[in-house]
Amino acid sequence: MKRRTFLQLGGMTAAGAWLSGCRSANEKLIPYLVPPDEGVTPGRAEYFASACRFCPAGCGILVRVSEGRAKKIEGNPDHPVNRGKLCARGQAILQEVYHPDRVPQPLRRSGPRGSGKFTPISWGEGLSLLTGQLRTLQRERTTERLALMTPQLQGTLADLAARFMATFGSPHHIRFDLLAPDWLRAANRRSFGQASLPWYDIAGTRYLLSFGADFLEYHLSPVHYGFAFGRMRQGRDTVRGHFTYVGGRMSLTAASADRWMPARPGSEGALALGMARLILSESLYDAASLAANGLRPDRLSAGLEGYDLPRVAQLTGLSQQVIAEVAREFATTPPSLAMAGEMVAFQENGAEAVRAVQLLNVLVGNLNRPGGVYPGGGPVAGPENSFADLLALVEKMRGDRMGVALIHGDPLHAIPQTTGFPEALGRVPFIVSFSPLLDDTALQADLVLPDHAALESWGDVIPLAAPRGTVIGLMQPVVTPLHDTRQFPEVLMTTARELGGGMAAAFPYQSYQEMLKETMKRELHPAGGIDLETVWVDLLRQGGLFKTEGKRGKGYRWRAEAPIPLPAEPRFAGDERRFPLHLQVYPSTAFYDGRGAPLPWLQQLPDPMTTVVWDSWVEINPGTAAGLGIGFGDLVEVTSPRGSLRLPAVIYPGIRPDLVAIPMGQGHRGMGRYAAGRGANPLVLLALPPSETGPLPAWNATRVRVARISKEGGLVTAGNPEGSYRGELIEI
Amino acid sequence: MEKQTSPYRWGMVVDLDRCSGCGACVVACQAENNVAICGKKEIAEGRNMHWLRIERFWVGEYPNVRARFLPVLCQHCRDAPCEPVCPVYASYHNPDGLNGQVYNRCVGTRYCGNNCPYAVRVFNFYSHQWPKPLENQLSPDITVRTRGVMEKCTFCIQRIRRAKEDAGGEGRLIRDGEVQPACAQTCPTEALVFGNLADPRSRVARLVRSPRRFRLLEHLGTHPSVYYLKGGGREHV
Repeated sequence: MKRRTFLQLGGMTAAGAWLSGCRSANEKLIPYLVPPDEGVTPGRAEYFASACRFCPAGCGILVRVSEGRAKKIEGNPDHPVNRGKLCARGQAILQEVYHPDRVPQPLRRSGPRGSGKFTPISWGEGLSLLTGQLRTLQRERTTERLALMTPQLQGTLADLAARFMATFGSPHHIRFDLLAPDWLRAANRRSFGQASLPWYDIAGTRYLLSFGADFLEYHLSPVHYGFAFGRMRQGRDTVRGHFTYVGGRMSLTAASADRWMPARPGSEGALALGMARLILSESLYDAASLAANGLRPDRLSAGLEGYDLPRVAQLTGLSQQVIAEVAREFATTPPSLAMAGEMVAFQENGAEAVRAVQLLNVLVGNLNRPGGVYPGGGPVAGPENSFADLLALVEKMRGDRMGVALIHGDPLHAIPQTTGFPEALGRVPFIVSFSPLLDDTALQADLVLPDHAALESWGDVIPLAAPRGTVIGLMQPVVTPLHDTRQFPEVLMTTARELGGGMAAAFPYQSYQEMLKETMKRELHPAGGIDLETVWVDLLRQGGLFKTEGKRGKGYRWRAEAPIPLPAEPRFAGDERRFPLHLQVYPSTAFYDGRGAPLPWLQQLPDPMTTVVWDSWVEINPGTAAGLGIGFGDLVEVTSPRGSLRLPAVIYPGIRPDLVAIPMGQGHRGMGRYAAGRGANPLVLLALPPSETGPLPAWNATRVRVARISKEGGLVTAGNPEGSYRGELIEI
Repeated sequence: MEKQTSPYRWGMVVDLDRCSGCGACVVACQAENNVAICGKKEIAEGRNMHWLRIERFWVGEYPNVRARFLPVLCQHCRDAPCEPVCPVYASYHNPDGLNGQVYNRCVGTRYCGNNCPYAVRVFNFYSHQWPKPLENQLSPDITVRTRGVMEKCTFCIQRIRRAKEDAGGEGRLIRDGEVQPACAQTCPTEALVFGNLADPRSRVARLVRSPRRFRLLEHLGTHPSVYYLKGGGREHV
């Protein structure tokens, strides 16, 4: 080797070593110059499709699972109801699985009833206790003494529960749910002769007129209609849908309206009829629609004679000009859409008021047309007066005619005490609760057979609001059950098998999952002859069966014999002089009727309208509060003819001076550490107004009075009551 | 104008005409980012840990009253007041235009929080607990911040990183709509839209050209990447 080559090679080696040395030093330096992103290590998670059963809307969900644990819930983009979107409550059901106070195994009461003293037992013992009780009923030939109380179940579970009760020989399956749309089914049957729930084409409408329908919070399907609302506002190039809200309290939904009409409680139906009369008298109605519905304008006008503008203005407390303006806008901005909601239906004259709103849709031709209202694709039939069933059951319980009560849900918290339910339930000798947490009902139970959390369960969920076709969401266990719990339908089936005879024969399935498969088989191919196994995995992967094409059912048509809706003058429970204020209870944005209260994410979520956290409150108009000497956050006492409550006051500019409002959902005795003893349950205040036809579910017809107690309301709001910025600074 | 070194400039549009104030985004953010559960006492002290809040404004008096909602999250300012004040470079500007926060550098001076005009930085005044078995819900993608650390909205940077890795593997850029933070993903009314402002054809860039556009406290010259669209047509009240 030449000397020169040697030096060249040596130099290159040295340079190489030096350069590589530099590189390694750089590797240590670089992270400090270009920082890492917050210790992020994006992993690969798995997604499992399932369905949400928190509220009857029945949205499709995707659950992110890593290392066998559920981490996050997202909307299922393929689900036609929620299209990848999800509300706060649906996302929070994750915490139901990992709630620190879940009932880990069956419990038998060991102390006096309601003491909360329980002894853990095995499933074998628990089931034999239950079957023992049921056998006694069978032996004594008093099978009608069994009561089953559930929310309004759908699909396979509804079928199973009905079959269980029918085979056992008891008619007492009560499906009462304060927020269930019984009222809407009943009104539809009366007006249109069909009890199916409507589907509103909000996205396509140009003028939306909501009478107390809070479709962005809880009404029927909030995510579905929320999505549609966004499109109604900004989804079309040249049209921005207009939204007017009628109701004494500015709800979250009403806050998004262009115009808020704070009508006097109970006068909403009269307002609808006043508008109808104006539309008739100014010939703004759709003649073709009236003809198609078999209505004659002259007869209608005559029927609505009493609803002239001055009288309606006087009844509602609104100005004549505003009423006329809205009526004209509604009639001349097709397609328009009128909706009636719970806040109207829960008045004493609610049944007719809801029909008065339907008449508005008939009048301007909004039935069965884009931008209007269609019969929905959800479950066709459903309870239309479960309240009457509940009262009948209470009567029987009072008369010691019920022996065993099986309860799924928390009726002791969710049923107003004025029905007499709590005392009546106390007379039932044996109460079984299936609650996954020790809620108010489970605390009174003799036996607790804890259900799986939703994310551990099989099931099918049929959404309340679907445009058309068949939509069935499938729930599948996305995590292995955390505790020694069993699914409610599985427990019913096991019980039936152990009872033997006809009961066992009614359930020829190995498991609930198998029964579910049978249902899906029927839905997929009614004639049979389908190998489900080939499509089952696809159904699970996709989150259910979504057949959204196909024809719509029979459209709405006003029944020939349907009377003109004439809401009577509203009646209220409580004397006007002793109880000067109206009370409105409304489902809380976070907790719905109270089932969301145990979840800390929802407790921490500031209420959108008041920013209150971890509490309940009463909303009072600033003028009324000033007159009573009440300031923001003061402790006040709200007294109704039925009882009284102490809770902090929120000065609320968006409420009528003669109305106060309390959100539902808090005031649990039990339900785990995050809910127990927190806030107040306004349902204890409710009284039912007198009625000739027997009690009506008029939950917003109670009068109250409010008095200040002290400064110490203990109210905590996440935001400044006035907002962090001055409004004019950010110009919203 | 600083030199753009990355093909992305992440930004968000909040359409106030769509926003209903429902709070779905708040829970989505909390679930995605291991945001601590705060009790009543902590919130009473003004120490709520939410990265995203919804401001509510009352305008006018009964009966001519309006309520307005304004979701406020980190505005990811181009000239962010939080960044230059950090003595340890825990708050930094990343090439995609995000205001990042490096938790393991943060020594808790809280200068950044003081300097943020939008009050979107939250400080861990306490050690937060997830009572067993609630800790199972914690996402493994993100650290759980300890006491003494400032934290904030990251536009769900773990999702952006994931998308970048996926796109990089296929030798392409992230497509419009391929990545969105948890809040925008869940928003029922589609009021929140996320995307790349550097791509003029992205949905977010098109919405930003709307005449309804404004930015929060624009006069401060922070040049936020979050644009708001005014609610329109509220002619009646």
